[in-house]
Amino acid sequence: MSTAVDAIRASVDPRAVAPEHELERWSVGDVVPAAVLTPGSVDEVSALLRAAHDVRVLPLGGRTHLAAIRPREPFVVLSTRRLTGVEIYEPGDLTLTATAGSTFSSLSETLAAHGQWLPCDPPRAPERTLGGMVATGAASPLWAGYGALRDHVLGVTIVTGDGRVLKLGGRVMKNVAGFDLVRLIVGSRGTLGVVVSASVRVFPTPAVDRSLVLRAPRAEALLTAARAVGTAPVMPASAVLAEPEPGGGAALVVRLHGAEGAVDADQSRLERHVGTTFEPVEGAAALSLSHHMRDHAFEQPMVLRLAALPSRLADVMGVARTLPHAAILADVMAGRVRVGMPAVPPRAVESVRACRDAMRGLGGTLVVEAAPADVAAAAAPPPDETTGLVSGLRASLDPRGTLWNPGAFSGGRHGPIGVHE
Amino acid sequence: MSQPLPEKVARRLRHVVGGDHVITDPDRLLVYESDGLTAYKLPPRAVVLPADHDEVVEVVKVLHQASIPVVARGSGTGLSGGALAAHDAVIVGTARMRRILALDAANRLARVEPGVLNAQLSEAARPHGLYYAPDPSSQTTCTLGGNVAENSGGPHCLKYGVTTRYVTGLKVVLSDGRVLDLGGAARDPEGAYDLVGLFVGSEGCFGIATEIEVRLLPLPEGVRTLLGIFETLEDAARAVTAIVGEGLLPAALEIIDGASIKAVEASAYAAGYPTDAGAALVVEFDGTDAGLDAAAARAEACCREAGARDVHRATDEAERTRLWQGRKKAFGVMGRIAPDLLVQDATVPRTRLPDVLHRIMQIGERYGLHVSNVFHAGDGNLHPKLLFDRRDAETLAKVEAASKEIMAVCVEAGGTITGEHGVGIDKRGYMTLVYGPDELAAMAAVRDVWNPDGLLNPGKVLPDPVESR
Repeated sequence: MSTAVDAIRASVDPRAVAPEHELERWSVGDVVPAAVLTPGSVDEVSALLRAAHDVRVLPLGGRTHLAAIRPREPFVVLSTRRLTGVEIYEPGDLTLTATAGSTFSSLSETLAAHGQWLPCDPPRAPERTLGGMVATGAASPLWAGYGALRDHVLGVTIVTGDGRVLKLGGRVMKNVAGFDLVRLIVGSRGTLGVVVSASVRVFPTPAVDRSLVLRAPRAEALLTAARAVGTAPVMPASAVLAEPEPGGGAALVVRLHGAEGAVDADQSRLERHVGTTFEPVEGAAALSLSHHMRDHAFEQPMVLRLAALPSRLADVMGVARTLPHAAILADVMAGRVRVGMPAVPPRAVESVRACRDAMRGLGGTLVVEAAPADVAAAAAPPPDETTGLVSGLRASLDPRGTLWNPGAFSGGRHGPIGVHE
Repeated sequence: MSQPLPEKVARRLRHVVGGDHVITDPDRLLVYESDGLTAYKLPPRAVVLPADHDEVVEVVKVLHQASIPVVARGSGTGLSGGALAAHDAVIVGTARMRRILALDAANRLARVEPGVLNAQLSEAARPHGLYYAPDPSSQTTCTLGGNVAENSGGPHCLKYGVTTRYVTGLKVVLSDGRVLDLGGAARDPEGAYDLVGLFVGSEGCFGIATEIEVRLLPLPEGVRTLLGIFETLEDAARAVTAIVGEGLLPAALEIIDGASIKAVEASAYAAGYPTDAGAALVVEFDGTDAGLDAAAARAEACCREAGARDVHRATDEAERTRLWQGRKKAFGVMGRIAPDLLVQDATVPRTRLPDVLHRIMQIGERYGLHVSNVFHAGDGNLHPKLLFDRRDAETLAKVEAASKEIMAVCVEAGGTITGEHGVGIDKRGYMTLVYGPDELAAMAAVRDVWNPDGLLNPGKVLPDPVESR
């Protein structure tokens, strides 16, 4: 075991090896890594993975999205924090290429200087890295108005589990040259390859970013309005329903983006369709509100995500209500509800199983974003007809199982299955 | 000539789909000998037209047992020879699978069979105030199954993106008849690998989609269309850069070059574009009515600033159709000038457009070929058109050499060899311009996971031979 770790340590420049006393700080799910390596180049990432035998490698970016991962020992952390910087940014192209360790906040600053942005707003967005966002898919309610992050990723460079460097896709908006492995990588949680750089499509910053707010003592009182937003002739940038608000109660927040006149008109059309008047919020207040909504129900010891069709929102909320003391954030346009719990509830395994079954009954899914290992494992779905395909895909990009870390997928479609289990 | 289908296999196929829906008569097979790229001709051994998902499964099983390759085909409008029956394949056509299975207005979703036409879906959605956004030029004839296979684009991708953004779920039949139920809007996309996204654009090499779930959008309230007339192509390209620099996001930004304008105006489809212009630029905004006039005014100012001689604004639908006419007819009218037309397809970063266009024209001059350009300027998707006469072997060789040079120029500029037409059989040789051996091997490995016996659309997309690893 120690020789396996020694070999991987020896594959990189000594300066890329973190000192022993720092290891504990890098624990993931209470498991201490055998080494922490911060490669400074793609070649070094490749050398490291080529040297990885009988040891798991866990790629880490901003460490914002790890709560359900329980690495199998021995494991080595591959931090992308030294792989930073913008590689190509030509504002006129509306595309940006940057290395994986670049933080979202630094990239946003670069883009903002040219009146552009990447319309993606997952929890703790500023601390996230580009590589981490690509690897997790960075679900965000802004998909409604702009498409999801997976629609904006034009190309990625990855290093496969056995150290091959693959440049997939490109940096142009339309590209159908070959099979779309980029889509496979986005949201694959580092289990197929380490993302070392990515090209994304960016957008002009909207002239007006207005949040329309509707408040009520309980989220249930806002469900009818929320559903009406989902069928309005106006497509909002995003629409979320949150409870509890900082001051208590619940709020439905609809963001409208566009030119001044267009946003005014959208607001009246929306209000006519919903049959109510919203409180409009703009500027600093809107920004702080959207940050609050972004992180709502995320940083909790246990977080579940329930998904079904938008028309089932009331039923999904009903399932969420069976969980104790839940903070709730619903993406109204998608029919997805994030439920954060302030503590791991007693009999958590049973309640997660019950919720999972209830969601299946609604034709939907339950994904564990954060939970103790036994709870996360309880949500894992049984193998289905995609299991063989998924195993094959893993085997083709990570033949030694170096990048498979239990908990990377918990629930959803395919859990810890495949050739390496 | 391909080998005839063994009678035992033909009998079993007839048993599944009915005698009328298995075509083996050589004369009738000629209809299927090529797709929209008629340079390649290869009649299939047979064409089978299943009525529904269950019949597709049975047909595929019969062919799998006989180890006969299968090529799925929609309307055959593809432009890269993707639906060509190479390797003695049987074509499984989706022409009878034309049902819209569900139109769920409350969730803005539709579930369709693969033979449903692109425009047919938008028409069905219209009474609900909805439409299907991706609109390839062939939208009145192309099928959604074909759109999924090719990840089709269209003139409105700049704002709305391509097919893959709208496909949320698929039912897929694998080469041995196994069925996968992938994705679905009700399921959390972050909980799994994006197998739907991986499948879209796989050009029939992974499986046959028999049910497709797509997202619909609310119809935009209004549209504004501008036509800018420019002395030079460079001026038009500068106007595009200025419009993007203004922070405007038009639904479409299309450039028609001088050579194309002349061809259109000399035809029965004359759109009233001045024939001495160097380029015309169509700019279209859609969305909430209230914001559109301001956006159009800013775009017009950008055009004038860039040296536009004239800017027309459509005031009604008839006028809008007329402004688009020159763009939409620019391919068809070339038949007047030469018997054969090769429409190329490549994408470059938008800011490289003027330089790349200049180099493409130089290549045309060097080979003595008539080259003209019509393109989606907003997303850098070029369609250089090369005119020639196939009967002249020397010219044909020049067209091939010039095409390859054009591709190399686009790749060198940071672009790629196809933006929306696909690789098919035509561009396999160019794949090495954009990908190295490791990338091609990884793609082959992924294909082999879906299609281990290689019976689905063999001889497409990847150059021969690529060994998976």
